[in-house]
Parts: sequence; structure tokens; C-alpha cells
Amino acid sequence: MTPALFLFFLLLPQQNDGARLAGHVPQAALAGVHAIIARAEQDSLPTEPLVEKALEGGAKGAPPEMIVTAVGAEAARLGTARDLLRTAGAPGPYRTSEIQSVSLALARGLPERIVSKVLSAVRDTAPGFALHAVADLSAHGFGEDSSAALIVAALRMGLTGHRLLDVAAAADREVQRGSTRMQALAKVRGILPAIPPQPMPPGAMLGATRPKKGGG
Amino acid sequence: MTAGEGSDAEVIARVLSGDAEAFGELITRYEGGLLRFATRMLGSRDAAADAVAEGLVRAYRHLASCRDPAHFRTWVFRIVANRCKSHLARRPVGDVSLDDAPPVAAPENAEAAFERNDQLERLERALAMLAPEKREAFVLKHLDGMSYEEMSAVTGERIPTLKMRVHRAREALLAALKES
Amino acid sequence: MSQELDPRIHRALDGELDRAALTPDERALVERLDAAARALSGVPAVPGFAQRVMGIIRRPLRSPVERFRQWLTARHPVTVSLRPVYSVIIAVLLVALLWRGPGSGPLPLLGEHEGVAQFVARFPEAHSVAVVGAFNDWRPEATPLSDDDHDGVWDARVILPAGSHEYMFVVDGERWVSDPMAGRYVDDGFGRQNAVMEVRPVRSE
Repeated sequence: MTPALFLFFLLLPQQNDGARLAGHVPQAALAGVHAIIARAEQDSLPTEPLVEKALEGGAKGAPPEMIVTAVGAEAARLGTARDLLRTAGAPGPYRTSEIQSVSLALARGLPERIVSKVLSAVRDTAPGFALHAVADLSAHGFGEDSSAALIVAALRMGLTGHRLLDVAAAADREVQRGSTRMQALAKVRGILPAIPPQPMPPGAMLGATRPKKGGG
Repeated sequence: MTAGEGSDAEVIARVLSGDAEAFGELITRYEGGLLRFATRMLGSRDAAADAVAEGLVRAYRHLASCRDPAHFRTWVFRIVANRCKSHLARRPVGDVSLDDAPPVAAPENAEAAFERNDQLERLERALAMLAPEKREAFVLKHLDGMSYEEMSAVTGERIPTLKMRVHRAREALLAALKES
Repeated sequence: MSQELDPRIHRALDGELDRAALTPDERALVERLDAAARALSGVPAVPGFAQRVMGIIRRPLRSPVERFRQWLTARHPVTVSLRPVYSVIIAVLLVALLWRGPGSGPLPLLGEHEGVAQFVARFPEAHSVAVVGAFNDWRPEATPLSDDDHDGVWDARVILPAGSHEYMFVVDGERWVSDPMAGRYVDDGFGRQNAVMEVRPVRSE
């Protein structure tokens, strides 16, 4: 989001968190959730992901204690995510989307040291796609270190954003064609940066609509 | 509950299978109680109409998440109670409007009507001066006739807490009536 | 100011004690409170209220732009005091938001960091399928999928900001299902798995 848009949302007297959560999150969880949100605000961590996690728990009918636990876990992850960004030397201040990307990578099970490795290589670009690419590879059985190494190599050759997902997909396709994982990684590494992109199917934009958020 | 249209659970099932208009039946069943609750909570008929309308629209949009359709009443009261809390939270402290004239019943004799109005005004003021959670508890118990179990479902508070609030509210109102 | 009442009076009013067991004085207090409650119960009906609510329900949900327009014209109890520089920024944003520009034909106008998420799922026995995620506050009624040719394949195309989006499908308003074709999942903290979709920006970065 551009800085101006960010200001815009700051200044809008939008529905406050209390109004958004009330009626959607069980009463018994509200105090705990609000306390976590307040602490996150004090620590200058983004609170929107916490509101969304609470709304998710409410919508899924989770018991109040579970909701409070999940929101707390998300808050902890956001804190760790920001620490990892700092340690990697990424220039602050960090956008909510950046912190959330790193938090999601942690939630997907990537260990902190792997996240650090990727963040150091990403430098100025958004870390989300790189982290997803590594997590995708890891989820398909590739070793975490070798997955990180491939993506770091791709980053060094100037590939960024969704192209990194293409790298992960290419490695997976090689395995499906019969290569071992080590062979697949080596083959993909060899043809970098000329990884075939995955095109958007024609007509995909037709009839696309924006989601309606924030209650009637 | 009117016999004609079925139980609340049956009406809800119809709405969820696509008959949006059936929701009107639920509105008709509960608007009186909800408006009364919100009017006493917010002190203004207009604000109450807004809060209840918002609450009912929300109830409609979230109808699929009403876990126990047999207890729709407490569920929708809870939504409206939260709307009222939102409205109150947005006001500066101490600003409870008593801008609507109290309802005037056709007087059998003018003197009795005058007395009734005067007393009602005192009661309304006393109610407005209560802390919101005590006001809420009193209104749910004595105006909407809920049991403590139902009130607990609406507010999420424990029954001993609710009892304490109702008791203090009663004492405050009686004290207000004594000033005559 | 207010005196504490005898607990017997409270118990009688709570229905835990027979009123006959009270003294005449106590019973008088009970009746006073009953009368007070009756007086406060007399709230006149609001004519046409049900129609008003149904009118709102029948109206389609307003888009963020329309809600912003409505916010501009409505009275608000909250006052926002703006520094002059912010007013300029808001004015610029107003123009940007409200003027969609030439050539905004049937295709939606996508922002620079937006893409199209295509949600597809096969639920042959389903009566309704919706996608839920943070982008619609996890509300099943917000983003339904459609199966116009009734072949059991449901889909929806949603404009979302580029990046990661956790989501689930809700079948028939009550069954929450992780997208089996997502290829990417994350523990949701509530005992289930959200699917994760990466939305690519339509314009190249």
C-alpha cells in the first residue's frame, strides 16, 4: 500500500476493533483477545492480523480459550517475524504485509534459521514469495537447507516475486517426471534463470469481483 | 411464538435454504422486546431503532453461525446488546440522551397521568444513571423477563455477577422512587 | 444514596422465595419494583420497523467505495481533526477512488498490486459453496462460488491484493473444508488447515 493509502485507513473513523469483534467472537474470549491486541499495539506490532485471527476463530466456532491461544500464538509469531527482519538487516519500518509474510512462513513450519537465510538474500524486495517457495519445496519433501539454497541462488540471479514460485514448481515437476529430489534441484539450478513461467489462463479476469469486507 | 409460521428453528432453516423473506417473521416476533431493551439501554427511541436494525441485519448475515436455532432469542439479544454497547462506547461519558418524551398512555384522569409521567421520568433518569452493565442486567431481567441462565447466554457473564448487578439496579431505582 | 435491600426481597424478585413469606412492608417494596418495571416496559412500537430492516437486507452489500461515499455524507459522532496536509491527501484519494477513469468497461480496474484469485472446487452434492478468508472477515455469506451449469464444479474469481491469502471453503453453510487442490496449507490454530493461495499481480512488478 502506498503511504498515502496507509494514512487514509489510519484516519478513517472505521469500525474499531471492539465493534468488529463484538458479536462475532464469543464474549468469554473478548477480554483475552483485547489484552493481546493492546500489548501488540504497545510493541508496535500490526494488530490487523490479530483481529482477523479472532474473527476466524469466531466464525469457525472455536471455544473461547482456543481463540485466545491462537491469537496469542499469532502475536508471538509476529514479534519473532519482526525480530528476524531486523536481524537480517532489512530496512525498516516494516509493513504489515512484510511481517505477515514472515509470520506465515513460520506458521508453515520453516525454522527461524532458514527464514533468516532467505531474508538475508531477499534484501529490498518483498520476502513473501521467496519464503513461500522454500516452504513449498519443504512441504514436497525437499530438504529445508537445499530448498533455501536453490531459492537464494534464484534471488542472486535476479528472480523475484512470483517467479520464485515458478522455480519451486519446476523442481516439483522434475520429481514427478522421475528425477530424485537431488537431481531435480540440480537440474533446476542449472537452467536458472530461464525457468518457464506459469501463465494466467485467458479469460481469468472476466467476472472477477472484489470481496465485501467489514459487515453490514 | 406464533403457531402459524413454525418454531424459530424452522423459520431459520427456511431462511438458510434461500427464503430471505422468511426472516421477516423473526423480526416481527422479536422487534418489540429488542426495541424495548435498546430504548432503555440507550435512552433514545431513534438510537434504539438504529441499534436494533443494525443488530437484526447482522443476525441475518450471520444466521448460519447461530449454533442453536432453538435459542435464537438469546442469540439475537446478544447481538443487539453488543450493538448497544458500541453505541454507548461512542458517546462521551455522561451523555445519556433523554430526548424523547416518555410514552403517554390515554389518561383516565389527568392527575393520574401527570403522576405516572413524572414517576416514569424519574425512573428513566435513574435507569440512565446506572452503569451500562447494571442497566442491561435490570432490563433483561425485569423488562424482557429473562431467566439468569438466558441472561448469561446473552451477556457471557456468570450468574452470580448478573444477580449482583440486578440487585444493585433495583436498589438504585427504589431510591429514585423514594424522592417524591 | 441507595440502600441495600433485604436479601429476602431480592430472592422473592428472583423467584427463589415465595412472596407470601414476606412481611407486608417487604411485599410493598416488591410491588413497587414490579410497577416500576411495568412502567418502563411501555415502549411504543416503531411503525414499519420490520419493513425497514428487510429493506436493508434486500439491498446488495455496498462496495467499499459506496461505503466511503456514505461516510462522507453521514453525520458522525466521532470527530477527526485533520492537519491541513492530510486534507490534501484525502482530497487526492477521493478523486482517485471516485473517478474510475476512461475505458473502465466490463473488465474491473485493477490496482498495481492486485491480482485475480481463482477459487475452484468440486462439490457435486453441494447446494452452496462459499470461500472464506481474512479478505472477507471469514464470513460465509460474503463470497459465494457459483456452479451455473450444475456440473458440480464451483468457482469464483475475486480481486485481491497480491500476496498470500489463507482461505477455506464452506459447503452448504456449515461444512468447513480445506481446498483439496490448494497444494499449500497452514495450521489455522483451531485444529484445521487453511489453504494458502498466492495471488500474483496482474501487472508485472
